Amino acid sequence: MALIGGIESHASAAEKFNRDVDRVNWHDKALWNLRHKRDLAAESQPEWEDLKQLGSEYKLHTLANLKHYLTEFEANCKKNGIVVHWAKDGKEHNEIVHSILAKHNVKNLVKSKSMLTEECHLNPYLIERGIDVIDTDLGERIIQLNEQPPSHIVVPAIHLKKEEVGELFHRKIGSEKGASCPTYLTKQARAHLRQKFLEADAGLTGVNMAVASEGAVAIATNEGNADMGVNLPKVQIHCMGIDKIVPNMDAASVLSRTLARNATGQPITSYTTFYKGPKEGGEMHVVLVDNGRTKLFQDELLAEAYKCIRCGGCLNTCPVYRRSSGFSYNALIPGPIGIAVSAGDDETHSLAWACSLCGSCTQVCPTKVPLDKIIFKWRRIHSEQGKLPYGKNGYMPWVGKFMANETMLNLGMASARTALRILPDALMKPFGMDWTKHRELPKAPKTGSFEAWFKKNRENK
Amino acid sequence: MSSRDAIFAALDKCNLPDAPMPSITIEPNNEDLMGQYEANLTKVGGTLVRVKELSEVQAHLDKAMADGQSVVCRVEGLNGNRELDAKPHTLQDLDLALIDAEAAVAENGAVFVRETASGHRVLPYITENLAVVVKADTLVANMHEVVKNVKLESGQHGAFIAGPSKTADIEQALVIGAHGACSMTVYMLD
Ligand code: SF4
Repeated sequence: MALIGGIESHASAAEKFNRDVDRVNWHDKALWNLRHKRDLAAESQPEWEDLKQLGSEYKLHTLANLKHYLTEFEANCKKNGIVVHWAKDGKEHNEIVHSILAKHNVKNLVKSKSMLTEECHLNPYLIERGIDVIDTDLGERIIQLNEQPPSHIVVPAIHLKKEEVGELFHRKIGSEKGASCPTYLTKQARAHLRQKFLEADAGLTGVNMAVASEGAVAIATNEGNADMGVNLPKVQIHCMGIDKIVPNMDAASVLSRTLARNATGQPITSYTTFYKGPKEGGEMHVVLVDNGRTKLFQDELLAEAYKCIRCGGCLNTCPVYRRSSGFSYNALIPGPIGIAVSAGDDETHSLAWACSLCGSCTQVCPTKVPLDKIIFKWRRIHSEQGKLPYGKNGYMPWVGKFMANETMLNLGMASARTALRILPDALMKPFGMDWTKHRELPKAPKTGSFEAWFKKNRENK
Repeated sequence: MSSRDAIFAALDKCNLPDAPMPSITIEPNNEDLMGQYEANLTKVGGTLVRVKELSEVQAHLDKAMADGQSVVCRVEGLNGNRELDAKPHTLQDLDLALIDAEAAVAENGAVFVRETASGHRVLPYITENLAVVVKADTLVANMHEVVKNVKLESGQHGAFIAGPSKTADIEQALVIGAHGACSMTVYMLD
């Protein structure tokens, strides 16, 4: 999975974001708001837990039989007049897309949200070859104009304030200076993008589900940009990871019940569209991409990361994501699911530690991706390769020895308690290093060690 | 080796333990379907108008046309004031489109439409305002039920549409009317 930017550890990037406390709190609240709406939607659905179980089982079944379903999907697509392409990596994906566009002499391409094309760096590839590529989802358009990657997989511009969007639109699309009303700004974007839709020679979208039994792709949006994009021009292209296959319409019905509820708390997105062939006189292409997926499928646990339906729920609930923002991850997909699919490529060996292992992500996931287990496994993999982050390699073995030696540990803890009691905080705080940067020191318990308390109060009772 | 073969060869090496295909045993909640539908359509920003006869819908169209709106009507027996051109792009200034929907889903307010009902695939999205006529007896409880009833033919496009186009990409503020229709009316025909 692709990494972005230079190589900076999560902790160092997060530290920069954390300098602006107000922004951190604002970011945290915006995401928690989504999490809260998700809870209301889940609670109002008596069969929610059953849907999660079904979603998980459908995805596991598909992944275990992926070759079968890919074959079926391809054959059915052909019957429906859809051209199917295969790409082993991002480079080949880009070449395929470009060759289709070149054949039709496409100059203007409208795109709708696709994390896959971000993963393959399609936009710069096409722009270098003279194609005007326009992202049409409002959030994506904002970050495209701002020359940034997405900071969230569902709400890509969540890191920007409305005043910043207003300023950007003023500079780039000529909206009024100083305007920051979301309604006004959205209408400006509507007018600007409508022009782009009408001029487009081709439309490209990501895929939410590809239904094997039908030879159809399904795309879910709230804005309707995918449908405006592919229904006007002659050529439509849909790019998808091979993990997006589902066996049949029953499976699609299950996932369509949880996707939007878990993302934003809506019962369903405004548009859930199935394309089972090109429009009259048109052309429809589907590009199936591996780009590292089959590599993760080799491992039973890591493979489960691809049960993911990209609802973003695990980002919204993650205390680390909410307080460090998407850009601190040095990975295209941030948050828990981002760690799960990208930690193998992380040269800073810090990504797998951008997690408190609280397990909240695993709890909210609508397809039961065992995110905390996967993240923990990545830590083990890095550790076994001798690649622990920032000095952990040096001191962790000593910590291990210390903790394993009872006398040493008791002695150490006793002196820590005494020190906490008698020494001033200012002197003690530096020993806590990063931990005490934003925290007060604990009060030393009056009862002494836990063992002593246990002996006195619980043993033999 | 072609990339297709390379991907399949890599999948052969995976050997994930097989997991059986699940079956859906969730009982549909059929209690007060119309009440559920109206509540959910309202939640997603749409408007429900219950009608006994198609002529009531024509009265709404007539009013829109009297107000100077351009109306494409694709429902048999009703009339608008504008025909479809060969090129869908000219629909960009269309005020109102009325089309048939085949089914309605109580749990989320969605209706199912397909291109045969709209003439041009882009019609339900490009129009400023969208209205559909759907028969009350096509209303089902949930998505599992509706996919049993609506089947796409080869070469078709079909969409579940739940309310108007919307976005909350700027500071989470909900704005109705992103790229698709800015309003959606569902005429439920008893
Ligand atoms: S891992 Fe689960 S919660 Fe996270 S984005 Fe994927 S489906 Fe949603």
